[in-house]
Amino acid sequence: MAVSGMALVLACMAFIGYDWITFRNNTARNLSIQAEVIAANTASAMIFDDPESARKSLDVLRFSPNILSAGIHTTDQKAFASYFRPGTTEAPRLPDLPASQPTAHAFRSRRIIVVVPILSENRSIGTVYIESDSQALYSRLARYVGIATIVFVISLVAARLGSTVFRRSVSAPIVKLADVAKVVARDKNYTVRAPATPDMEEVATLVEAFNEMLFAIQKRDAELLAARGTLERKVEERTAELEAANKELEAFSYSVSHDLRAPLRSVDGFAQALLEDYGDKLDDFGKQNLQRVRAAASRMGMLIDDLLKLSRVTRAEMRREKSDLSAIAKSIAQSLEEAEPERKVDFKIEDGLAADGDPRLLRVALENLLRNAWKYTSRHDHARIEFGRSKENGKSIFYVRDDGAGFDPRYADRLFGAFQRLHGVSEFPGTGIGLATVQRIIRRHGGEVWAEAEVEKGATFYFSV
Amino acid sequence: MIAPTVEARPADATEYQVKAAYLFNFGKFVAWPETPDERASRPFAICVLGEDPFGSALDSAVAGATIHGSGVVAKRIGKADEIDGCRILFISSSEMERLPEVLAAIEKTSVLTVSDIPQFSQRGGMIQFVSDRNKIRFEINVTNAEDAGLSLSSELLKVAVRVTRTPRRGM
Repeated sequence: MAVSGMALVLACMAFIGYDWITFRNNTARNLSIQAEVIAANTASAMIFDDPESARKSLDVLRFSPNILSAGIHTTDQKAFASYFRPGTTEAPRLPDLPASQPTAHAFRSRRIIVVVPILSENRSIGTVYIESDSQALYSRLARYVGIATIVFVISLVAARLGSTVFRRSVSAPIVKLADVAKVVARDKNYTVRAPATPDMEEVATLVEAFNEMLFAIQKRDAELLAARGTLERKVEERTAELEAANKELEAFSYSVSHDLRAPLRSVDGFAQALLEDYGDKLDDFGKQNLQRVRAAASRMGMLIDDLLKLSRVTRAEMRREKSDLSAIAKSIAQSLEEAEPERKVDFKIEDGLAADGDPRLLRVALENLLRNAWKYTSRHDHARIEFGRSKENGKSIFYVRDDGAGFDPRYADRLFGAFQRLHGVSEFPGTGIGLATVQRIIRRHGGEVWAEAEVEKGATFYFSV
Repeated sequence: MIAPTVEARPADATEYQVKAAYLFNFGKFVAWPETPDERASRPFAICVLGEDPFGSALDSAVAGATIHGSGVVAKRIGKADEIDGCRILFISSSEMERLPEVLAAIEKTSVLTVSDIPQFSQRGGMIQFVSDRNKIRFEINVTNAEDAGLSLSSELLKVAVRVTRTPRRGM
């Protein structure tokens, strides 16, 4: 408001200022013309030295109330004839009139003064000056300023009125709309509505559309909520089913392996008894067969043990505490070396590796991995087994690396299946349960295990916890 | 600087210097009946009949000046019939006795007659020099001028000390 008001004032001032200058110049020009007329009329008076006649010519100026004084001067600046308005006593100081100029004027202390030459045969024989006051100029200025003020006041009032009307019918409803939108965005509350306005059709349409939109969002929101409820219920049901199934399975495998032990002990026991009691009665072939029986029983015992371990892993309650993986790995390495001291193996175990998890389960996992590494490097004279950690995207990934037999990476997906082996028993002994156990443990900790390898170039097993 | 300007009144002008200037300036306020080309082709002659009271003053006044585009010359004549080409004729007081004959001789011509012979304007002359409070003024007889085909500007009549419109006496 203030800015547009100021703009209006400046515009008015510019116009009035321009008009002032123009009017003043016009006044000067008119005075010059009057002076030129007088000059023409008094040429003969100058030539024939008749001041009386010159004075008569000047006297007509009394009909111009704005003219304060006028006079005629000879070429040597002497006064020849004068006119003074009643009340004026002094002639003004005149501006210079250069030889070739037809007129000169000056604006001095609210007076306008013009000077023109008196010519005879194109030669100057004297000068005429007229001095006028600026009355007309100032009354015009006052009039214009008055008009401008009235216009200004009226426009202010009109603008005020206009803005009030506009505000009420357009901007207030829109601001209200924006407020409602803010509330909706902030509180996610889709039940609010913008208030309807009766005034402007377009604004009312906008408000209506906005409210409809909110209604649609509200409806969709409710639907989504219901759907989610259904989904959650379904998920719960499934989870319960799965858990039940899992528990059954574990119980089954536990009891099975437990129950399998007994007859196995019998087989092994009686085979041994036979060897001891009737060994001298058997030939070599017979003794060999019994030994084979015992070996097979022993192997089955290992399988059952591993199965038991696997099921124990899944049944056991998990404790979460800070586990020192470096210490665990070092102790495992030590026991491996003690068991087979003739092997030359380089253990490189990183210090300070720790993880959040069940230390017993983590030990089992590391045991399986390190034992595998030990086993699959047994064919090489000199082996190297590493246990370390690399950080990727802020997550710790542990790895056990060996430079042993490795495996064909095309069969990597079979690695972690129970009883799956990528090498024959004659190459490397084993039951095929170890890695399945590792996966179970790591998955229970919410992590993942995977492997990379090349045949005869070693393997690396990664896991995250 | 060109010739002295036709100032109305130089500070220390003698009587006949002033009259010479006036004589010359009269020409600016009088209209002759000739056509413009006739006027332009011939020089504007100011003639003095009889004893010349001006001397060099008249020559100075007209030197290098123009009236209505024509160059101005000063001539001295002894007899009225030498009037050919004169626009303005100053009749010297030496011709006072012969005035009627002189006027009769130039009756048919359009010549502006000027003189300081007493009662010149009443005796058929057009412009008569008079003295008014030590100032050189003049009287004009408009009728005599108009009869000769001349028209005098109101500017000139304005500054005359007396303007008369009487018919020529003695006709």
